[in-house]
Amino acid sequence: MKILAVLLGLCLVFVFVWERVDMVRVGYQIERLKRDKTALERQRDELRVQFSTLSASGRIARVATKELGMGLPQQGQVVLVQFRPGSSQPVAVADAAPVEVRVAKNDLLARRY
Amino acid sequence: MAGVVPSGRQYVLLLLLLCGFGVVLFRLVALQVWQAAELSVKADRQHRKTVSLEGARGTIVDRHGKVLAMNVEVPSAFGVPTTLDSPTKTARVLAPVLHVRSEELERKLRQERSFVWLARKLDPEQGRRLERLSLDGVGVVMEGRRFYPKGPFLPHVLGFAGMDGEGLEGIEHRYESYLRGEKRMMVLQRDALGRSVFPTDMTERSPTPGHNLALTIDEVIQYITERELEDAVTRAQAKSGTMIVLDPRTGAVLAMAVSPRFDPNVVSNLSPDRWRNKALTDAYEPGSTLKAMMAAAAIEERVVKPNTMVFAEHGRMSVAKTVIHDHEKFGWLSFAQVIQKSSNIGAAKTGMVLGEQRLHRYLQAFGFGQKTGIDLPGEAVGLVKGLKDWGRRSVASISIGQEIGVTPIQMVSAMAALANEGVLMRPYVVSEIRSSEGQLLKQASPQVRQRVVSPETAHTVTKILEGVVTDGTGTKAAIPGFRVAGKTGTAQKIDSRTGGYSASRFVTSFTGYVPAENPRLAMIVVIDEPQGDAWGGTVAAPVFSRVGEQVLSYLGVGSQEPVTLAMAL
Repeated sequence: MKILAVLLGLCLVFVFVWERVDMVRVGYQIERLKRDKTALERQRDELRVQFSTLSASGRIARVATKELGMGLPQQGQVVLVQFRPGSSQPVAVADAAPVEVRVAKNDLLARRY
Repeated sequence: MAGVVPSGRQYVLLLLLLCGFGVVLFRLVALQVWQAAELSVKADRQHRKTVSLEGARGTIVDRHGKVLAMNVEVPSAFGVPTTLDSPTKTARVLAPVLHVRSEELERKLRQERSFVWLARKLDPEQGRRLERLSLDGVGVVMEGRRFYPKGPFLPHVLGFAGMDGEGLEGIEHRYESYLRGEKRMMVLQRDALGRSVFPTDMTERSPTPGHNLALTIDEVIQYITERELEDAVTRAQAKSGTMIVLDPRTGAVLAMAVSPRFDPNVVSNLSPDRWRNKALTDAYEPGSTLKAMMAAAAIEERVVKPNTMVFAEHGRMSVAKTVIHDHEKFGWLSFAQVIQKSSNIGAAKTGMVLGEQRLHRYLQAFGFGQKTGIDLPGEAVGLVKGLKDWGRRSVASISIGQEIGVTPIQMVSAMAALANEGVLMRPYVVSEIRSSEGQLLKQASPQVRQRVVSPETAHTVTKILEGVVTDGTGTKAAIPGFRVAGKTGTAQKIDSRTGGYSASRFVTSFTGYVPAENPRLAMIVVIDEPQGDAWGGTVAAPVFSRVGEQVLSYLGVGSQEPVTLAMAL
């Protein structure tokens, strides 16, 4: 009986110590995960900044004009046309059904009147 | 055993043991009882670390969610001078990494302090290089730095934040209370190696980040506006330029550009003049653009009709011992032609018939001489003199846009009222405020300030203003396929030396709206001191046309003109 009591006591002490040690271990784990989270958030923010910088209209225009040889459409070169469903004839925007096609004016397009 | 008597040596040993235990006991009592309070404070100081944490400043995005300003964690370098053996050597090693002169670093490192900032808000690469150096007495901490990823884009509206993250200009300043993150002190436990274990109270939450703002500004429209304005300012060799694009139905600002621009990431060397938002802060004499509002007042009050004939005195008319000139020698003109050809004499005569009282009342109704209420800091009220201060020429002068000071935002708001069937709206730039979790906290809705003129009058004035672009002084504002209504303005600047009007310095402008029959855009272009052919119709009107065409195309607003295709697509 005495031996059992001593063993029980030892078990309780062991559980108590184990619990304290485990708490510290989990604490370190939490801190490590927090650091990882912070690092990932930092990385996410850096990528957001990078994305925002790279997708700036000014940069896209610069790349398009200087690297890809594109040019801004001149006045009157952008025309909006609309088609009635089932018809191949374009009509004035004011009379058109809500199907819309945007076309950059080029050699395929006749002059406007 | 009973007969054994301890020897002398044993007594000595016992005495020594007793003394030893006595010392230990004494020390225990000293530590645990007498010095307990003091030592427990010391222990707490070593085990616990109180850190000041600040939630990240909120993000600013355009109306499509494109990031315009956000916080990024960047490294800052600090030194602990009291622990350094050789400040000179440390400063020499640090100088090329931090891009700071070694003498300056050495001066900081020689201070009798336990903490000094060496360089703050560095590039991440600088931080990594610094960590690789692993110098004694030098450390790196992460701090939030405000970053404007698009560089010199929308700077006068966004403003900028200072080194400690406080908003100093623009939206950053106006919405400081929403953008700023919560500041909290947090207690952490440290182990013997100084590593953080966990907060003493596990339920302690991290500081809340600031709220996020969504603007009414459209990144693409802003880009087009900035590019075209800058181009015009450069070509005209002008001092500066301002352009605003509004949605006249709501008052939402789609673009607001001031040239020259600046990069809000680098403001330390700039004078305040560079970051002042001239669209709100600088009043100018509007010149002939004000004739549009005078015309609306005269028509609303039934003083004139578009076909009322006005004699323009062949280009010269005396008023109160001064002379008013026209840029051409006009004879009889219809009132519509007075506006379309921008006759000063015709407008002055109409204004005089309208009278001081009514003209003054309409100027106020259109919002001149008072703030528009736009949610940006530093707005000026402009200058509309009280009636008692009007001189004998004032009614004629004000009718042609002199003796009055307006800001570009006031003028475009007034023009937008004509586009909006006579209803004046409050312009605004922030459309939504959301918490960091995305919860909607505040949504701006269009605010009507007042009705200025009837819809019928607004339509009549629109017709007249269309004539300005088709047959008048503003033909270069025309946009193929669209009906444009607007008015040119060319005003002489005041010469500070003589107190009179300068013969060589002008403010040229064009303000109007498109499409005239169903306005989607109200815009103003103001070019300050252009050189050469300095007329509103030649300098400012083309900018209106180029921006208008591109923005209408971008918004998918279709031309009203029919189009044929050469072949089936």
